Amino acid sequence: MTRVVVIGAGLAGLVASIRLADAGARVALLNKGTGGLQLGQGTVDVLGYAPERVQRPLDALAGFAQAHPGHPYGMLDAALVARSLEYLKELLGPGLLTGDPAVNLHLPTAVGSVRPTALVSPSMTAGSCVDGASFVIVGLRRIKDFYPELVAQNLNRTDLPGGGRLTARHVMIDIPARENEVDSSGLTYARALDDPGFRRRFAQGVAAVVGEGETVGLPAVLGLDDHGAWAEIAELIGAPVFEIPLPPPSVPGMRQNRALTARAKAAGVRVVPGSRVTGFRSSAGAVDSVQLATAGGDRDFKADAFLLATGGFESGALSADSYHNLHEAVFDLPLRRPEGHLVHGDYWGDPQPLFTAGVETDDTMLVRHPGGEPVYSNLYAAGGILAGATRWQEKSGEGIAVASAVRAADSILEAATTATTQGAAS
Amino acid sequence: MNASDGLDYAATQLARASLDHCVKCTICETHCPVSAVTDKFTGPKYVGPQAERFRHGESVDHSLDYCSSCGACTLACPQGVKIAELNGQARAVMKSDHMPLRDQLISQTTLMGMAMTPVAPVANAALSIKPLRTVIEKVMGIHRDAPMPKANTQTLAGWLKKRPKPTAKATRGTLVFFHGCAGGYFEVETSKKSIEVLEHLGYEVLVPKQGCCGLAEQSNGLFDGATAKVLKLCDELRSAGRDLTIISSSGSCTGMLKHEAHLIMGVDDARLADVGTRIRDIMEFLLELYEAGELPTDFKPIELTAVYHAPCQLKSQGMGQPALEILKLIPGVQAVESEVACCGIAGTYGLKKEKYEIAQAVGKPLFDKVKRVNPEFAMCDTETCRWQIRKGSGAKVEHPVFLVHQAYGLS
Ligand SMILES: Cc1cc2nc3c(=O)[nH]c(=O)nc-3n(C[C@H](O)[C@H](O)[C@H](O)COP(=O)(O)OP(=O)(O)OC[C@H]3O[C@@H](n4cnc5c(N)ncnc54)[C@H](O)[C@@H]3O)c2cc1C
Ligand code: SF4
Ligand code: SF4
Ligand code: SF4
Repeated sequence: MTRVVVIGAGLAGLVASIRLADAGARVALLNKGTGGLQLGQGTVDVLGYAPERVQRPLDALAGFAQAHPGHPYGMLDAALVARSLEYLKELLGPGLLTGDPAVNLHLPTAVGSVRPTALVSPSMTAGSCVDGASFVIVGLRRIKDFYPELVAQNLNRTDLPGGGRLTARHVMIDIPARENEVDSSGLTYARALDDPGFRRRFAQGVAAVVGEGETVGLPAVLGLDDHGAWAEIAELIGAPVFEIPLPPPSVPGMRQNRALTARAKAAGVRVVPGSRVTGFRSSAGAVDSVQLATAGGDRDFKADAFLLATGGFESGALSADSYHNLHEAVFDLPLRRPEGHLVHGDYWGDPQPLFTAGVETDDTMLVRHPGGEPVYSNLYAAGGILAGATRWQEKSGEGIAVASAVRAADSILEAATTATTQGAAS
Repeated sequence: MNASDGLDYAATQLARASLDHCVKCTICETHCPVSAVTDKFTGPKYVGPQAERFRHGESVDHSLDYCSSCGACTLACPQGVKIAELNGQARAVMKSDHMPLRDQLISQTTLMGMAMTPVAPVANAALSIKPLRTVIEKVMGIHRDAPMPKANTQTLAGWLKKRPKPTAKATRGTLVFFHGCAGGYFEVETSKKSIEVLEHLGYEVLVPKQGCCGLAEQSNGLFDGATAKVLKLCDELRSAGRDLTIISSSGSCTGMLKHEAHLIMGVDDARLADVGTRIRDIMEFLLELYEAGELPTDFKPIELTAVYHAPCQLKSQGMGQPALEILKLIPGVQAVESEVACCGIAGTYGLKKEKYEIAQAVGKPLFDKVKRVNPEFAMCDTETCRWQIRKGSGAKVEHPVFLVHQAYGLS
């Protein structure tokens, strides 16, 4: 049985771990902390801006990759991306992820802009911003991160991506999730809405302000563990309902993170949270083990293959010092860095070149020297650590993470099979 | 470092350097079991890195006292902020000049154990008398329904002295066993079974005379006493022999030696560093043997499905849940992970009358799960948590080493 250590439990690390364990590998998933999934919106972006708004992401990938040499989508073609997204949909199930990755939906954000995304939580689909839609945006007075007036006003003045306009009005209501609390987090509401009793009272309160033919936009707090809560609320209100993601803590992101983590454990993955991987040992061109800095000192994790899924600058996987030297934290890998200055002074201007820095791989996700040979024979990389993308600006981070994770897992499994057959032959 | 330096350290130095790493992502907020059930506590990000910025001596956010020190926040923080540790330090400073007598007394775990052992039946009976518990609550602030340990008539030391010496020859070398106060006085069975499993594997097990690690005092902000205790314990454990691996089946005590005494109280002592890096939780040790191909897996099948709860202070050691991996090796055993951060008790937190309700609410999803999965039996590695889960669910709750012991045919 092949042994694999996956470092990092974001979308990339989780998906790869599940795929590996389901195929019979013994997997240890080491992560310093909770991954970025929980900071996301409960949606899966494939390609949103190229830089103009993208309507059909899969169709756009090839052209986009050509225009951006060295972009991860240059190795991860549309067929692989489509297959990987189907796989993620299977893992999460229709209760948590739906949509057609060939077509972007355009959904309202918490500030009332209209954001392109490919796969979404089913609780969001009714928010599709199309010509003639009629929304009532309902705020909850005790949630301080959601201003229905701002959302409605911005939506009203937006020329929609597919053409036309929608109409939106706003209402603020007050239904406390915890009686004595004036400032409740979205998570507090989500937990309260797991309770059918509170759900009924909540739905009554919302129903009272909904007009004929209106679709109801609510902050994304409609249940945490009960994935059917939003649908029941819609039924009780008697109108279509959609969730609008909030700044973190993101409840839709939490739902996905919990579901994938539980799925990984069910597949037999050994999950080890809370410690950083700080070092490694190698011999004969291969990584033998990594060191996990646990409370009582370093512990050695040996494996046949290693997957680096530690994210980017935001998760401490990469860092830059004041001389603009770039550094990868675990293996001190050679990095691909953009030409010229890493950062320019125009905050609202073009993407900062810095963020395209990262690890380079071949198309099996094996880490290599920029433009050259593999660094180790058994070290792979996936997700935000890959060089070439400005993920949040392009809205490409999740598509890259899922597709590269699937590709890396399959490469590791293929290498293991080859090793076994060779072993059997010799 | 002498003991009162610990409070100084907490007032000024801290794991405080980590505070600037906070990016306000709120991940810790989503993992806190206390703020999930009460509005009295503002949550880890607020009382931790946020309030810490304004702290000059005493914290500006007194809801801090409701933090149970479970460590779930630190475990989840991707940026490495030592949130729970910051809270532990800030609380010690906040309460330093008016520490309730109650907090001082319930921290004396060894004393309670020693006092109760010879009179175990009497103590057990007394602690189950309602009116007496009401008086204790009034006078001491210990909630009348809070779980209390059952005192044993035989201590571990008593058993070790009386039992026939192991006859099998030790083929694998020598280990030192650290039992903690609970493992010495209240939860003696766990210690016995651990020792027997290790002997069965071929180890000679030394059990030096040992006191308490001081964790209860540390978590109640009594750093002077705690520092003295933990260093004395280090001396005792080191007296058994240099370089020997130390094994413990007391999940939380292990955490005190591995990191808490150093991180929270700033104990910077070579003896602690030595013991802290030599110590292994027993399940961690068995898993290391397994990974090295050195654990016999001739386990007899046990048909059992039961919840396994890893105590917060075990998880906070950042090694995952080794017991789950070991239990997978026993045919027939289905260990169902509790998936809750904390059982609520968090050492002595859930005993206190103003926190009792919160601790019960924190534990409720766990109690419910135990009742659903197997209302007769559940597993957990730390003593106080077992008392809490027993009380809350009605199930028999034992250390996972019980199953290993049985599967090796030792019981
Ligand atoms: C605030 C924010 C907004 C974003 N918005 C968008 C968006 O709108 N659209 C989009 O497409 N993408 C967006 N992204 C990017 C997207 O979230 C990621 O690209 C994607 O989720 C892939 O994540 P990942 O799995 O590679 O890494 P991450 O989710 O970052 O996970 C990294 C994991 O590695 C762990 N780790 C790091 N170093 C170590 C170590 N040394 N030892 C052990 N563990 C370690 C971390 O604890 C974590 O578990 C955004 C990212 C952030 C942070
Ligand atoms: S998880 Fe860490 S970085 Fe995020 S808010 Fe909490 S302390 Fe700050
Ligand atoms: S230690 Fe536990 S109770 Fe305290 S803030 Fe952290 S998660 Fe909450
Ligand atoms: S953790 Fe263990 S050794 Fe420490 S005080 Fe508690 S019972 Fe005693």
